[in-house]
Amino acid sequence: MDSKEDEAATPELLSFFYSRFFPYKTYVNWLNYETESNGAFKNRELSFTLPSDAYLRYNSYNGEEDLKAEIMKMCPTKIDIGAIYTAKPKDKKTMRLSAFKPVEKELIFDIDMTDYDEIRTCCSGASICYKCWKFMTVAIKIIDVALREDFGFKHLLWVYSGRRGVHCWVCDENARKLSNERRAAIVSYLAVIKGGTQVSKKVQLNRTLHPFLRRSLEIIEKYFEDIVLKDQDVLGSEENWSKVLNCIQDDEIIKKLSNKWNGSNSKSSVQKWDELVNELEHAASASGRKYSKKAEQLQICKLEIMFQYTYPRLDEAVSKNINHLLKSPFCVHPKTGRVCVPIQPDDCENFDPFEVPTVSSLYQELNLYVEGERKVHDYEKTSLKPYIKYFDNFVKGTSKEAREKNRSQASMEF
Amino acid sequence: MISIRTIVSETGEVKNHNQKYPYRLNFYSIPPIEEITTEEFEVFALDRLQVLKAIESASLRSRTELQVADHIRDISNQYLPLHSTDGGKNYPLEQERRKDHISHFILRLAYCRTEELRKWFIKQECALFRIRFIEENKEERQAFLNNERLNWNDLSQNEKESMKNELSHANPHIKFNDETFFIVDFEQVLDLVSRRAVYIKAGKAYVPTSEQVTLVVGEFRKRLSAALNLASRAFPSIDDERILPLLNNINQQYLGKTYVYNNNTIVDKVTADNVDQMVGHFPLCMQHMHIKLRELHHLKHFARMQYGLFLKGIGLTVEEALIFWRKSFSSITDEKFQKEYAYNIRHSYGMEGKRQDYSPLNCNSIIMNKQPGPGDQHGCPFKHFSEDNLKVFLTQTGVKKDEHLKAILDIVKGKHYQVACTKYFEITKCLEDSISRGDDERHLMETIKHPNNYFEQSVKLSKINNSQNSK
Repeated sequence: MDSKEDEAATPELLSFFYSRFFPYKTYVNWLNYETESNGAFKNRELSFTLPSDAYLRYNSYNGEEDLKAEIMKMCPTKIDIGAIYTAKPKDKKTMRLSAFKPVEKELIFDIDMTDYDEIRTCCSGASICYKCWKFMTVAIKIIDVALREDFGFKHLLWVYSGRRGVHCWVCDENARKLSNERRAAIVSYLAVIKGGTQVSKKVQLNRTLHPFLRRSLEIIEKYFEDIVLKDQDVLGSEENWSKVLNCIQDDEIIKKLSNKWNGSNSKSSVQKWDELVNELEHAASASGRKYSKKAEQLQICKLEIMFQYTYPRLDEAVSKNINHLLKSPFCVHPKTGRVCVPIQPDDCENFDPFEVPTVSSLYQELNLYVEGERKVHDYEKTSLKPYIKYFDNFVKGTSKEAREKNRSQASMEF
Repeated sequence: MISIRTIVSETGEVKNHNQKYPYRLNFYSIPPIEEITTEEFEVFALDRLQVLKAIESASLRSRTELQVADHIRDISNQYLPLHSTDGGKNYPLEQERRKDHISHFILRLAYCRTEELRKWFIKQECALFRIRFIEENKEERQAFLNNERLNWNDLSQNEKESMKNELSHANPHIKFNDETFFIVDFEQVLDLVSRRAVYIKAGKAYVPTSEQVTLVVGEFRKRLSAALNLASRAFPSIDDERILPLLNNINQQYLGKTYVYNNNTIVDKVTADNVDQMVGHFPLCMQHMHIKLRELHHLKHFARMQYGLFLKGIGLTVEEALIFWRKSFSSITDEKFQKEYAYNIRHSYGMEGKRQDYSPLNCNSIIMNKQPGPGDQHGCPFKHFSEDNLKVFLTQTGVKKDEHLKAILDIVKGKHYQVACTKYFEITKCLEDSISRGDDERHLMETIKHPNNYFEQSVKLSKINNSQNSK
């Protein structure tokens, strides 16, 4: 692979990154949402994982300066962002438990490639490749448009998790203020894949698809053949195609197809898929059962399989609870050394996880940089620049929304 | 704010109000301000609780909405009759409504004390309100809603036509041309949103009139929830000795059995090393996780929680639990174990964090909460396994006869998971015959409601069998 080598982030490199690259100012602005005297930021929980693997929860800071000082001192291998509480999280121990409550947090989504292990054939566990990364592209496309069009959210920050997944931070004010109950309803609306390891068929659809599922299906249709049939070749080996057949609730069809496929290795997954679809259609239109429940079931089965093999797999627990912590953007993944950079949702098919700047590549780039006449920030001398610019722009958007809100409130009071 | 003194008096006088309750439905916005006897206080509270308990157990048994409604009507007529104005001329409507009103407020006080109680109360009260709202005739309903000033913006005919496809796809069962739609924030119909039973666009939900009940119940829930929070803050100021004991204990009296973890467990000593020998006494869910733990040398978070608390319940101490999980997770390093798992184990024994001593999960929460996702092993096999996998697993774990297999699977199809589990118990412990013979000590148990209860029953049974064999 011609991409950047994985390289664990040593304490020296981390410290270098935190002193030269971490975007403290924008970061604090982001989490503060234009509140007076850093009110929201001061009450925000940040937790650190230290190189010793100690995990420190309920830290909070007054602003850019003490945050930077603390990060430089601790040199955390991971920073997690939690909720905004009723008071400063660092004072938690001095307060009554009932007075210390989470009040706001971005609506977050966590999509992790390990949840795709039962459907991907290229890698498993922590590893990813170009083939399976496409699942993440589809995931971003489907969730992004639903959050925007259905729920009306505008400020969505997608972030690469540094290794094998993506996170989404929905930063609109009404998203931050959602109760747990509302978060759960949104998640349930978006979650299509249901069931644990003991359920082979994880998608149940009705005959009439809800507009949201219709739109999702249009996206899935664009990618299904390419990702699932060609790249993943899920109808290639018997071990894999038998999993697909298990989603069909008709023993006769399963038997017919497995007999057909058992003997010949020459057929491609695309050809086998055509045969499967034909078989389903044929069985559905067989005389006598045309309008029966069974026929309906068989007709929808094709779509159910497509959803099961392409639809995003959300870690629901992360999104449902306002308390839940999530790894911060612009952390450095300790194993891969990659920076957790934002992903542009409208250009996510061009995002390449293997080309993301790593701490060591940034170190080299900075060393190779030839100083010009104009004085520029360190990040501008490196490949981190577009990501920081994107983040700056994003925070401009959320700040603008917050300022307008403040203004309209002020004028109402006036 | 509710002042409990205003509704209780020693004199026992009941003041008469004419036409205080024009509607059968009630949002309970105004607390009762009359005087009642302490006896009435208690009877009202317990009678309403009977109804709420019936609602809870009916929904646990996963009956259909219609069945639940029928059942609740019967129970209501017995304990808390409430008739409609229309056609209710022969009933003491005023008295019925007064009892409904007062009993609601008493339970509101009793159930405002903790988050868990509030949640339970809201859930059952909403279900009760929903049933009553659906039953009520159209005119009465509308009059009630007008009185409460509840109305929503209609979608104009033009807009409706322009969204025809979306609206009819989201609501395939409606007659599109006859239907009108309300526009509300999606937050007002969370139930419909989570079931994807409504069209939403830019945060607005387009709710057909046929789903109006969801909006009304949503409003009911919102108000009740706010009122309970208020009441919970006022509760500590109640110091009336006549009613405090009732308010403090009523939920325990009736909230059904929770499994209490105690040290006098039924087996002699459970250690990290003898768990394997006890698996035969475990219910199917725990057997499954145990097998998977041995196979994968790992379990994900919720499985560790469900299985770990179960083991705690059968008497595995925290020291033994740490050994048990350490040994079981054989493919990870000590360091990783200490870092990622040991804390949670100690936490579940109340030795870390907020130091809550967690109880083992009951069947209800295993079935209803935390639905297993990809890679998860927790849950209830009867609910969360596909039929094929369940069949295989049942066969592997001792259900040998086809007729038995079919009997269990039929119960599962009716969604009576706990009944299926009980059946499984009876079959694998060969109780079937003794039940039909009406056999002495090995009598039919109640439905399994708790995995630890399953375990205890199983151990008890084997002790009886042993003593009989040795006779």
